[in-house]
Amino acid sequence: MAEPATPNGSLNGAEAKKRLKTHYSRLFRRFVLMTMICSIVPLLMVGWAINVFYTRFAEDRAIESFKTQLAHHRTIIELFLKERTTKLTVISQTHRWDQLVEPGRLPHVFELLNKKDGSFTDLGVISDKGNHLAYVGPFDLMDKNYYDQFWFKEVMERGVFISDMFMGFRQVPHFIIAVVRKEGEQKWILRATVDTEVFRSLVESTRVGKTGEVLLVNRDGVFQTSPRFSGKIMEKAPFAIDLPPHQDIKADILKDALDAADRRIPRQIAVHTWLEETPWMLMIRQDYSEALGDVTHANYATLIGLHLSALIILVVTVLVTRHMITVVKRRDLEAEQLNKQYLQASKLAAIGELSAGVAHEINNPLSIILTERQILLDMAQQAPTAMDDGFKEQFHDSMEQISLQIQRCKRITQNLLRFARRTQSLIETVDMNHFVKEIVELMEREARTSGIKFTLDLDEDLPPIQSDPSQLQQVFLNLITNAMDAMDKMPYGAIKITTHSDNAGQAIRVAVADTGSGIRPEHLDKIFDPFFTTKPVGKGTGLGLSICHSIIERLGGTIKVESIPGEGTEFRMTVPLEPPRELQDSLSRG
Amino acid sequence: MIGSNILLVDDELVFTKNMSKLLNSRGYRVTAVNSGDAAIHELQKQDFDVVVLDLKMPGMDGLTTLKEIKKLDLFTQTLILTGHGSIDSALEAIKLGAYDYLTKPCEIDDLVAKIEGAWEKKDDAARKDMMDKLQKVVESPKSVFDVFPKKK
Repeated sequence: MAEPATPNGSLNGAEAKKRLKTHYSRLFRRFVLMTMICSIVPLLMVGWAINVFYTRFAEDRAIESFKTQLAHHRTIIELFLKERTTKLTVISQTHRWDQLVEPGRLPHVFELLNKKDGSFTDLGVISDKGNHLAYVGPFDLMDKNYYDQFWFKEVMERGVFISDMFMGFRQVPHFIIAVVRKEGEQKWILRATVDTEVFRSLVESTRVGKTGEVLLVNRDGVFQTSPRFSGKIMEKAPFAIDLPPHQDIKADILKDALDAADRRIPRQIAVHTWLEETPWMLMIRQDYSEALGDVTHANYATLIGLHLSALIILVVTVLVTRHMITVVKRRDLEAEQLNKQYLQASKLAAIGELSAGVAHEINNPLSIILTERQILLDMAQQAPTAMDDGFKEQFHDSMEQISLQIQRCKRITQNLLRFARRTQSLIETVDMNHFVKEIVELMEREARTSGIKFTLDLDEDLPPIQSDPSQLQQVFLNLITNAMDAMDKMPYGAIKITTHSDNAGQAIRVAVADTGSGIRPEHLDKIFDPFFTTKPVGKGTGLGLSICHSIIERLGGTIKVESIPGEGTEFRMTVPLEPPRELQDSLSRG
Repeated sequence: MIGSNILLVDDELVFTKNMSKLLNSRGYRVTAVNSGDAAIHELQKQDFDVVVLDLKMPGMDGLTTLKEIKKLDLFTQTLILTGHGSIDSALEAIKLGAYDYLTKPCEIDDLVAKIEGAWEKKDDAARKDMMDKLQKVVESPKSVFDVFPKKK
């Protein structure tokens, strides 16, 4: 991790708190970002990829369908024109012009031609000079000369000609199919006008949804039929014409555009091809949104689902991460506390080992000093000559002082040893009230000589506990000794011991309060530290309360202190009804 | 009891010298040795009423020495005198059959009191053993020499 979970010891509280907050915020952002990168981004990428590929696939399928439809439709139109051209060719080849101009003959032929489908509007026989030799149809065109008409030259040159839509003498849009017959040196033309409406119906016979249309345009881009939406017959188409003519079927996806009248033409799929032997391009086009409507809907649904999923993942990630950060915070706090406890325990263990070594090294020379003193005393007693009184008094005073100082050293080393030792605990049933009474009885004589009185306030309903009486005795002796020391220079004082049950019923509470000099507030934090003492030099080792603290903690309890300088001190302890599991386990392991 | 035979075992030469002198002056017969091996050797040579044994010694330590003493199956009582921090060891010694323990530094009077107690216990044990054996002699047709075998 880039930053430690716990603040640096040199930072003050506010800075540490701020750094921790920044650390957890950064952690939160990283978790959320990582989860998004690992889940949402792939999800969206896969979703979008599927969407794109599916759309392309659907487009390809739609275009293929359009192409098939267009090819089929082209065949129908080409067959229609070819059939009509063939019919005219057959008539022209099986009749002489003079036969066709006979009265009643051309109307009869015209009737036969139109018998099945009525696809011709009129029929005429035209000389090589452009004059009508015979005519049957609804228009009055008998006297018209076509020599200058565009189609006349074309048909004379080609032999067969299908014209574009044009207005002609009749001034209505129409197109003609004309064939030339050569009789000797003379040429004549059989010309028929295809019924525009029939042709339009044929062209538009294939329906392409609500927005689709079939268009037929010539090389100049002029509509040869009236399309459904794009314009009118003989009008210029609003799109470019794919030249030169070809037989391939081509497809385009046309983007949004504006037509000549500034009307919006939506995105469209268009397929087109050129008709054989005609000057026309056949086109089918349909709005993209309709052609791929189902796909678009499916895509929208997928995308909505995809984004909803991403949103849900994001929300869940944020919530889970927030919860996780809370857990991490709690764990960090616990780890920090455990670390502190571990450091304290390590410190105590190290001090303990050192103390044991020191105590041992001091005890042996002390023993020798004590024996030397005793030898001197024995010798003095057995001396053949009596010492003068002054010398004798000084000698005994010195011996007494040696004894006192040795006892003092012994007390110090015993305290050190007691601190260091890891005695085998013995868990027994302890009646705390009875136990307190015994301790008080033990200490009462000494206390009385110092004018100190014991007061007991014992809860009669106190449950028995399972604990280590020898360790508890150590705690009480230390606390009472401290209390007595705190009232050392007072003419009288009181020590009050209180017991009562814990409300939760899992522990008992014991308090030892004195009316002594109290502890200064700045010392309260250090009062349980080893070797911390406020007693005069030589009076205390600073280990008593540290021992109390470690014993009570080992027994699974707590010890706290409250003190008002000049008024007194109260130590409050809780001791569990059962020893902690670790202690029981260590005892069972022996 | 004045005149008791004491074996003092401690690696501190000055201590054993001084303590021997003090106990001698109080009427005890003291043999001082400075290691566990020497103590076992002395115990195999002669009877002692009480062994005053230090726990922490180089070589064979006090607890091992105590175990070896117990193997000798004597009435001799062992009093642990330790300057070592580990009271656990002293308690362990009591579990192994030591009479009691004292922590250094201790007054000679305290030591004498413990020695007296140990001697009494030894005396009681020896007397009880004698009574048991006599009882066996009375109750069984065994020879007196079977009950009181000749000391090797």
